[in-house]
Amino acid sequence: MSAAEQNQKQLWGREGFRDDPYIEAESLDAAGDAPAVILPLAAWLGLDDDVRRTSNRRIGVAVAPGEDIDPLLEKLDTIPLIALQFPAFNDGRSYSKAELLKGRHGFSGELRAVGDVLIDQVVFMLRAGFDTLQVTNRIALERLKGRDLHDTPGYYQPGRGSAQAGSYSWRRMPVA
Amino acid sequence: MYRYDEFDHAFVAARVEQFKDQVQRRLSGELTEEQFRPLRLMNGVYLQLHAYMLRVAVPYGTLSSRQMRKLGHIARTYDRGYGHFTTRQNIQYNWPALGDIPAILDELAEVEMHAMQTSGNCIRNVTADHFAGVAADEVADPRPFGEILRQWSSLHPEFSYLPRKFKISVTGAEHDRAAIQVHDIGLHLKKNEAGELGFAVYVGGGQGRTPMVAKMIRDFLPVEDLLSYTTAIVRVYNLHGRRDNKYKARIKILVHETGTEELTRQIEAEWQALKESDLKLPQGDIAAIDSYFRPPALLARPEGWAALAAAKKADAGFAAWVDQNVTPHKNPDYGVVTISLKPIGGIPGDASAEQMELVADIAEKFSQDEIRVSHEQNLVLPSVALADLHMVYELLLTDGLATANAGLITDIIACPGLDYCALANARSIPVAQRISVRFGAAERQSEIGELKIKISGCINACGHHHVGHIGILGVEKKGEELYQITLGGSADEITTVGEITGRGFSSEEVVDAIEKIVDTYLGLRASKDETFLAAYRRVGAAPFKEALYGEISRAA
Repeated sequence: MSAAEQNQKQLWGREGFRDDPYIEAESLDAAGDAPAVILPLAAWLGLDDDVRRTSNRRIGVAVAPGEDIDPLLEKLDTIPLIALQFPAFNDGRSYSKAELLKGRHGFSGELRAVGDVLIDQVVFMLRAGFDTLQVTNRIALERLKGRDLHDTPGYYQPGRGSAQAGSYSWRRMPVA
Repeated sequence: MYRYDEFDHAFVAARVEQFKDQVQRRLSGELTEEQFRPLRLMNGVYLQLHAYMLRVAVPYGTLSSRQMRKLGHIARTYDRGYGHFTTRQNIQYNWPALGDIPAILDELAEVEMHAMQTSGNCIRNVTADHFAGVAADEVADPRPFGEILRQWSSLHPEFSYLPRKFKISVTGAEHDRAAIQVHDIGLHLKKNEAGELGFAVYVGGGQGRTPMVAKMIRDFLPVEDLLSYTTAIVRVYNLHGRRDNKYKARIKILVHETGTEELTRQIEAEWQALKESDLKLPQGDIAAIDSYFRPPALLARPEGWAALAAAKKADAGFAAWVDQNVTPHKNPDYGVVTISLKPIGGIPGDASAEQMELVADIAEKFSQDEIRVSHEQNLVLPSVALADLHMVYELLLTDGLATANAGLITDIIACPGLDYCALANARSIPVAQRISVRFGAAERQSEIGELKIKISGCINACGHHHVGHIGILGVEKKGEELYQITLGGSADEITTVGEITGRGFSSEEVVDAIEKIVDTYLGLRASKDETFLAAYRRVGAAPFKEALYGEISRAA
């Protein structure tokens, strides 16, 4: 990724664009004195539990599509942020992980989509359980600024941000 | 049949508006073809050899007359006057202009149709037995569950970017006309001893370059667990299916590499956590969807028995057509009519705008306003009174739709092949046409009996050659089209993958080779009642190989 593109990286959530306190780093040492860090899964798992818990900084974890979330499940209540990666928009594994983390395991920290986030996937991501999206794509940024999410008026499956549609059990309507 | 409610209408309308915007951005140059590609694929638009192609979904192969009329109108207005019915019960238009596609989608939405999920790595249009709801041998109509799956899978947030496309097929009869064992998920609707409805669940069937017969992973799944269990299967696949090689990305490879037992364990474990979730289907919802598919109240038409017998006696052509193309209906005063889209020497599955309109008119008047598309690329009139059969036959005759060859050697399945398809290595349609002409004589076809020939123009196997009694696969070798023959395939309740006979045949040789196979069969069958498939299963490949390749094959 070029430096110019790096500069355009923006964090977006349902309420709009927001500042991102986190920096990505390979290890805590490499993160300098940043108050909030995202580490790769292996580095995160390598941290001593006590170090992690007593640290005065927030330590999030990034998970690649091919990596397993199982080792995180016991520690979910201590994780401030999980970043699930989308190296390409059409690698959909992170959707299932989001669904499991938020839906089944009750992860209450920030769930973030990172990588090839395009406008056509924004609603899918929100519904699968992502709280924030890290966006670099120009068209996606423009559309998000205009709050044009390519949404549908209703959904045919349960998902976050929606409520029973008052008809068939599988249908949902968005909640404002 | 199912009717859209406001929710469905609003959903489809919103998608059409989004696609209009995307097409506009493509036409203005704001989007490159590369950026546009994933967007058009979400809407069933492919870029083929010569033009864009639009694939329209026909859920579980069921159409009303109004919908069929609209399909004809679209063929005439936006295409070259015809459309092509596919092996997935859909229809393809081969020549639409990109700029017209939003208008086509608007027209489709008017009649409660769309082109969503007819492409892409998502859950594709759900297919079903084309005789569903009317077949005499059926336990229950599987289409309500096809409709529930259609809705649930539409723009599914978790399952829109699977490792590869995902096909589900449902049947409700012991005799499988929906080829469920060559689908990613095959569902066989049946009753348990207590009389409750449930599914036998098959996973991991498929064709393509690695044909596999699906494995049964559950003997009886209560119907209310349909969505939770399907979610469990697709989730395990989404997380663990291969993404490093698109030829190994279908669930059949995951089943094969993981092992059926272990994969079943994973699916069952996932299901345990989902079983009592929001996905559990309330009986009331199943009943509500089911009510759309309740058979129409058919009038008693007992006069048809005598009328039919008399008409058959008076008209030999009609008699042959009835014997071949009409199958038993649940109601003994009625029959299920197959309209062959395989005229001798014609293009399998093609129908003109006029033919579509004629079929729509006939269905409206004589078949309770309903039409089916079969995966064998024919059309079906599901409920025609025996008393009306002769009239229907006469009407079909007026536009070349009364070919009496359903299930016979000229009822060939063929993919579009190199005449249209960007993936093909060889032509399929001309081979189908030449075989059809060679065996076209009515007496000869009747003498040969049931024989399914299926032709694919490349290894992706859209023409289902692996499960043809005789399969033909077009390959390209040193710049020449070559045709490999397989024998003994079948996609019914005893599904088998055909065996390759040996070296391929040139385009010139292939029809002669088929003839040799057929003559060999006629020479060795135990009686006229022993079908080609039965004979092949009895004697094996050897006599056929010998006929094709001579003594050498025995020595080799």
